[in-house]
Amino acid sequence: MPLNDKNNDRATNEFNQYVKPVSLWADAWKRLRRNKMAVLGMWIVGIYMVVTFGAALLPFKSYTEQEMLHINLPPSFKPAGVVALGQLEGRKADLEAAIVKSGRPDLKQDLERIENEIVQLKGEIDTDPKHKRVYILGTDYLGRDMLARTIYGGQISIMIGLIGTLTAAMIGIVLGSLGGYLGGWIDNLIGRFVDLMYSLPYMLVVIIIMSMLPTGSNSIFVLYIAIAMISWLTISRVVRGQIISLKNSEFVEAARSMGAGSGRIIFRHLLPNSLGIIIIYSTLQFPSFIMNESFLSFLGLGVSAPRASWGTLVSEGVQGMQLYPWRLLVPAVAMTVFLFAMNFLGDGLRDALDPQSKNRN
Amino acid sequence: MTDDVILQVKDLKAYFKLDEGLLKAVDGVSFDLRKGETLGIVGESGSGKSVTNLAIMKLIPSPPGHIAGGEVVFMGDDILKMPDDGIRKIRGNKISMIFQDPMTCLNPFLKISTQMIETIVLHQGLDKAAAKAKAVEMLKLAGIPAPEKRIDQYPHQFSGGMRQRVMIAMALSCEPEILIADEPTTALDVTIQAQILELINELSERLGTAVILITHSLGVVAGMCDSICVMYAGRIVERGTADEIFSDPKHPYTQGLIKSVPRLDKVSTQRLYSIPGQPPNVINLPDCCPFFPRCERAMDVCKTKYPKVAELGDKRTVACWLYGEGK
Amino acid sequence: MSRFIVRRFLSVIPTLFIIVTLSFFLIRLAPGGPFSGEKKLPPEIMANIMRKYHMDEPLVNQYFRYIGDVLHFDLGPSYRYKDQTVNDLIGNAFPVSILLGTLALGTALVLGTIVGITSALKQNKWQDYAAMSVAVLGISVPAFVVGPILMLIFALKLKWLPTSGWLSSRAGALTLIMPIITLMMPYFAYIARMSRGSLIEVMRSDYVRTARAKGLKEGVVIRKHVLKGAMLPIVTYLGPAFSGIITGSVVVEQIFVIPGIGRIFVQSALNRDYTVIMGDVIVYSIILIAANFVVDILYGLLDPRISYK
Repeated sequence: MPLNDKNNDRATNEFNQYVKPVSLWADAWKRLRRNKMAVLGMWIVGIYMVVTFGAALLPFKSYTEQEMLHINLPPSFKPAGVVALGQLEGRKADLEAAIVKSGRPDLKQDLERIENEIVQLKGEIDTDPKHKRVYILGTDYLGRDMLARTIYGGQISIMIGLIGTLTAAMIGIVLGSLGGYLGGWIDNLIGRFVDLMYSLPYMLVVIIIMSMLPTGSNSIFVLYIAIAMISWLTISRVVRGQIISLKNSEFVEAARSMGAGSGRIIFRHLLPNSLGIIIIYSTLQFPSFIMNESFLSFLGLGVSAPRASWGTLVSEGVQGMQLYPWRLLVPAVAMTVFLFAMNFLGDGLRDALDPQSKNRN
Repeated sequence: MTDDVILQVKDLKAYFKLDEGLLKAVDGVSFDLRKGETLGIVGESGSGKSVTNLAIMKLIPSPPGHIAGGEVVFMGDDILKMPDDGIRKIRGNKISMIFQDPMTCLNPFLKISTQMIETIVLHQGLDKAAAKAKAVEMLKLAGIPAPEKRIDQYPHQFSGGMRQRVMIAMALSCEPEILIADEPTTALDVTIQAQILELINELSERLGTAVILITHSLGVVAGMCDSICVMYAGRIVERGTADEIFSDPKHPYTQGLIKSVPRLDKVSTQRLYSIPGQPPNVINLPDCCPFFPRCERAMDVCKTKYPKVAELGDKRTVACWLYGEGK
Repeated sequence: MSRFIVRRFLSVIPTLFIIVTLSFFLIRLAPGGPFSGEKKLPPEIMANIMRKYHMDEPLVNQYFRYIGDVLHFDLGPSYRYKDQTVNDLIGNAFPVSILLGTLALGTALVLGTIVGITSALKQNKWQDYAAMSVAVLGISVPAFVVGPILMLIFALKLKWLPTSGWLSSRAGALTLIMPIITLMMPYFAYIARMSRGSLIEVMRSDYVRTARAKGLKEGVVIRKHVLKGAMLPIVTYLGPAFSGIITGSVVVEQIFVIPGIGRIFVQSALNRDYTVIMGDVIVYSIILIAANFVVDILYGLLDPRISYK
């Protein structure tokens, strides 16, 4: 590097080497790209977004259509008819053996039903196109495609995560910057309130809210609100701290001395400089929204049928997990991979945007 | 004279592998330290003076740093080749250090007594009671009032200047041969700076300790040091006795530094001189004189080759194309 | 110190009061009630029930009556479990949840710090990468996924552990294993990451450099100079962790059919069993406040820079 064409306005780090004279964001982007796990996380999150939100445009099966002959089919690349037939014949053989062994006449009814189904299936298998379908991830207890259900479940889970994160960030930013900038009794009031909320086990409050509301199609919307209402605490604290430390900094004093009003100072100076930390906390909070929503859905307090989130699917999968483990594993793995990727991305963003971070762990 | 030399640093190199490239923080530094001598190492921040002294104690954080070559001969043995056990017998015992920021250099969770006693017990084999008595005595020497009482307090109960006194007492508690003082007064109030320097001076004389005083301030070394090394971008650019450096500076950088010290004895209406430009980035530095962009007397040769070190007499060297063969 | 404790203790009372008040009105103002779910009762019987539980009075009267009862440590009758009082219900379930939570947090703390310290000392070696990947996994996988999958593998397929139950005579302590693992996973992971990070930071600190420059052995440096400072953030984390463990145990108790307060809580929320919900909220808040209280005191004892004056 030639020495005589240096700028004097470059920042230097502890070894007095010059950090490249690029913007904070370009620099952060460079750091992020160097972090392999974060890049992998970004790709996975990107693919999930495209697949779940583009699901309507992609050739996936319906997530609501029930097919009684395709109940609980295991994952397979063979056409559904063949898989279903194999399963029915296996069950028929089991039943026959059981009848011979125990001599229970009540099992005969089941046997008859299965024989009828086999006949029906054999009749349709070559003519009805639905038996040509391939369920690569199997079907659930109503004969619905697990792949489609997982993808649409992801859509709801990710949606809730996004809306929850944005709402929480909004409330947190507004209250945090109000408290931080104005100080005095307003700050005190907000601070007390945040303290109080922190001393509540907040998921329990959400459970109360959710259980009190009439069940219906609107519950998903209420769920967004309920989760967001209680999740802005951390963001507001972080923003408040950031605003307070920036408020007294020299560049803000300079802006004030040049006659900038409060609004201008908050929106042009304080918030843009807090953006990095807001992004970090929001990204790290995103997976916890998804977890919380799924947690509620798991308890039967979240998304109601026919819609399903990952939590609903896992909860349904638990019911028959001994016989039909794919019903549990498919949504569980899909969700875990996404949360895993999200956490890596969040960690990467924190390291990239806040390299001096004290609370790195 | 050479028999008195207790520490000989020869061609010491300490490099840091960073994402941006290889940082040659210390690149071929050599100097001698005689018994009881006070040596000043002067340079801007980032010139490698602190890293040099961490390297002497083999305390460079690794990774990313490592010692890339050279020797540090202490009483006949090369420290850099010693096993860890051997070095630990020297650290804190034969060579001890005090650092820039006394606020962060003492462990906030341990009492002063614990921190002082552990060193004395470790190196001098005293029992705890005797070690404590020794620690109290050292604190008294370092000018801490009521040391018997204060020794059982925690660092946060001391002021900055008092903490630096504690650091000095701790560093000298094993009566080391060498005390390395890394900018010991930079973080302190101006009024306290002189007291601390005076204390270092007085105690080292009394105990016969040689001192390496690292500082960015020529004013500090002027009153205290027998000889001076001026560092720039990881290398020593000029070396000599304090008298020689101040009365007859050779290197343009040294000349600039001296010109930029405010003087009370000469009333002047002129603006204070300052060296133009910024200290260089030492990552991937080309083979040239790193000072040439800021040098008023730079020549073509300065841009292509690092100057040979010119010997101008006993222990008097300068690395500049204006002197020696290059001229 | 004792003055601090007293003051801190007194400040708990208004917090509890606000929590009780808020939840009381929140629950009561929501539509539906404990008797609205079942088949329609004849109006005169309904009126009798309402009178019996004082639900025909204005809400504010009910509120003061409730507060009065609570001050006498009486949480009232359950509206759903006709023969049981809330005190009985919670009294039976409370020890179960506390045992589960304490065991889980204890395990998370011990394993988490061990893994975190190992990771920090082997920084950027394979042990570190392996441990930290496990930690991110622990944070990413929710309890209601870990629980069923553990159950599927170890109880249903391998048949090593019992599927559910709580200290039942046949399986004994084996019933504890899966619930504890499920419940502690995220906290174990978080504590491991946190202790690694804070250990690395402290190892780079100036005072640790001083300790090394004194000639102390690396082991002594870590034990005497690094660990205490590095563990302080973990202590502060224990408060929120306890709160999370309580919430998490709601799911774990559901999955493994454990008769703790979490199960009662979900049941009562679904049944709108007002008094039981209220009782649960009060008990949970007290646990949380107590946990934070203990953490504050612990922190003060560990960090000499903090004095309670």
